Amino acid sequence: MDLFLQRVFDALTNGSTYALIAVAMVLIFKATTLINFAQGEQAMLGAFVVLQLWNWGIPMWWAVTIGMVFSGILAAGLERVFIRKFDPADHLPLVIITLGLFLVLNAVAAIIWRFDPQSFPQLFPSGNAFTYNNVRLSWYSIFAFGSCVLVLFVLQTLLTKTKVGLAFRAVSSNLESSRLSGIKIGPTLQFGWALAAAAGTLGASIYAANPVLQIEPSMMLRALIFSVTAAALGGLDSLWGALIGGLTIGFVQSVVVQYIPFIPNEMSLSAAVVVLLIVLTLRPSGVLGTRAVERV
Amino acid sequence: MMPKIQIMNKISTDRNSRIVMWTCFIISLLLVAFAYVDVGTISIGSNNYNLSLIRLNKAIAYTIAILGLQVVIGYTGQIALGQSFFFGTGAYISAWLIADHSWPFLLTLLIVVPSCFLVGMVLGLPALRIRGLYLALLTLGLAAVFPSIVKLDKLYTYTGGAGGKLTSNYKFVAPAWLPFDEVAQGLQKIPLLGDFFGDGPLSNREESRLWKFILFCVIAGICFWLIYNLIHSRPGRAMRAIRDNETSAAVSGINLAITKTLSFGVASALGGVGGAIYVAEVGIASPDDFSTLVAIYLIVGLVVGGVGTLPGAVIGGLIYALVPDWASSTQSISFVPQRWLQGPTGSLILGVLLIVLTLFMPGGIVTGWRRLKDRLTTRQSAAYQ
Repeated sequence: MDLFLQRVFDALTNGSTYALIAVAMVLIFKATTLINFAQGEQAMLGAFVVLQLWNWGIPMWWAVTIGMVFSGILAAGLERVFIRKFDPADHLPLVIITLGLFLVLNAVAAIIWRFDPQSFPQLFPSGNAFTYNNVRLSWYSIFAFGSCVLVLFVLQTLLTKTKVGLAFRAVSSNLESSRLSGIKIGPTLQFGWALAAAAGTLGASIYAANPVLQIEPSMMLRALIFSVTAAALGGLDSLWGALIGGLTIGFVQSVVVQYIPFIPNEMSLSAAVVVLLIVLTLRPSGVLGTRAVERV
Repeated sequence: MMPKIQIMNKISTDRNSRIVMWTCFIISLLLVAFAYVDVGTISIGSNNYNLSLIRLNKAIAYTIAILGLQVVIGYTGQIALGQSFFFGTGAYISAWLIADHSWPFLLTLLIVVPSCFLVGMVLGLPALRIRGLYLALLTLGLAAVFPSIVKLDKLYTYTGGAGGKLTSNYKFVAPAWLPFDEVAQGLQKIPLLGDFFGDGPLSNREESRLWKFILFCVIAGICFWLIYNLIHSRPGRAMRAIRDNETSAAVSGINLAITKTLSFGVASALGGVGGAIYVAEVGIASPDDFSTLVAIYLIVGLVVGGVGTLPGAVIGGLIYALVPDWASSTQSISFVPQRWLQGPTGSLILGVLLIVLTLFMPGGIVTGWRRLKDRLTTRQSAAYQ
């Protein structure tokens, strides 16, 4: 029972960080119906900027804030230069562009900060919030989950209560009509990208602040697959779906895989891909997503 | 009647020029093989660039894998990114047969091709329901899990775990009837140029290297011939129809399910052949040679060469094999700080190429070249009239 609880807590920790990256994916998918394969790398770059600022002596949370703003501006620029000129309905060039960004961002980060893993500063108080026999729930897990929920609430309010949010929702629901009703499409999409990158950077910073992990240029590769699966599972256009998806994937990784004897431990990535396969085959719109209707 | 005759004339000159072109191509390929069989470096400035047959053999392996991507992405329009999965599958099957059952290399292809074809068809089945971006997602996931599958403890006896599977017990021996020595010595006697072709008869090692290169070229040639015929026949037209408009293809009576699974099967079989050649060249199948990054690099090759063009696969294969290697052997360029040369510069260049070509030359190098040629030739004929 102790072991089970411990694994559930691990699931909570991993799931929240996956959910944060998944939220970024969902935002971009809502804006441009595009899956941004470079999302993980953008977030990683942002986390490196945070680390650099912290090394220069800027207080931790200020560093995180500046890093989020930085990657938001970077993402807005990337959207303007590379994404906007393509037809959103033609997927191949967009996928290729994001893969190209993936390679470039990864290489740039590796050139600037090298491949060696570096330790990331603690964002949250260390130690355990709760200890019972051998079960430990660290403050890190609680804060990771808490910040995930907080980010979702902030985004939810931003999208439903503000004028920019209204424009964003209008664009994601119908691009043509919103253009006709006078919404400036370009800046709205840019806003979506910036928001997504900021959320992703926060996610990557929290992911790297995990006491058992270190920051390195390739750290988001695995996390990207988990987060994409989480986003697809929750429904690619649903914010809260990302949380559900993230927690489910975390649960599968840390609990389900451990209890099925014929699946070895290192297969958690494969388990995520199998989940992705099942979801996409049986219910492509995910748990909370809207169903796609095709017109001929 | 006039236009018809003109068209026929054009076709016959086309065919002639094509034959001349192919002969030139094959002769230059052989010359390159003989010239670079022993040395294999070009020096520019203070940097040495490797152009040995080892590199070129790797390029052939990548070329065949990219040819598979041409079928599934270029001609059928299904965004399947996970070619490294099939590349790895072919590589590991071939390595297992060579190392544990001491099969000769060519015989392993008889197992690799059908098994990769089947695996590709089975994994392609979900693609009947999953489209566009979702398929891209799933296939990228597939590419990501391959290394962890071959590292499984249960498969250790077949795959050799994290250390990889060695196939060095198999040596390529050139058949005695091939006149390598005579050709080499003949080439050495050419005045002025003879120096490029080394000195004296070829050693055993050089002969086997040469034989490997020619063998791989022939395999690649066969693959290209088969795929050329495939895409110019009925199933190939069906594939292109699906790429251009899936709904209208279905309405015109094309069986989407069969055509799509067929294209997945063909693509994975080609990936498998590429993998087998890769292992035959490298001598070891190790998990990290088939990671997600390889899948992305293969996409780079596809895009840079030109999506939906057959010669594009060759250019893509060369770029994948040479650019990262040359980037890492560039030790010093003036005006460029050391730091930018020692990191993953190759990956940076490939990423930039991918973005720049998609933005400015969407058809890749081959389409750009064709457009340039068209422009030049039409101007010329206009001047003629």
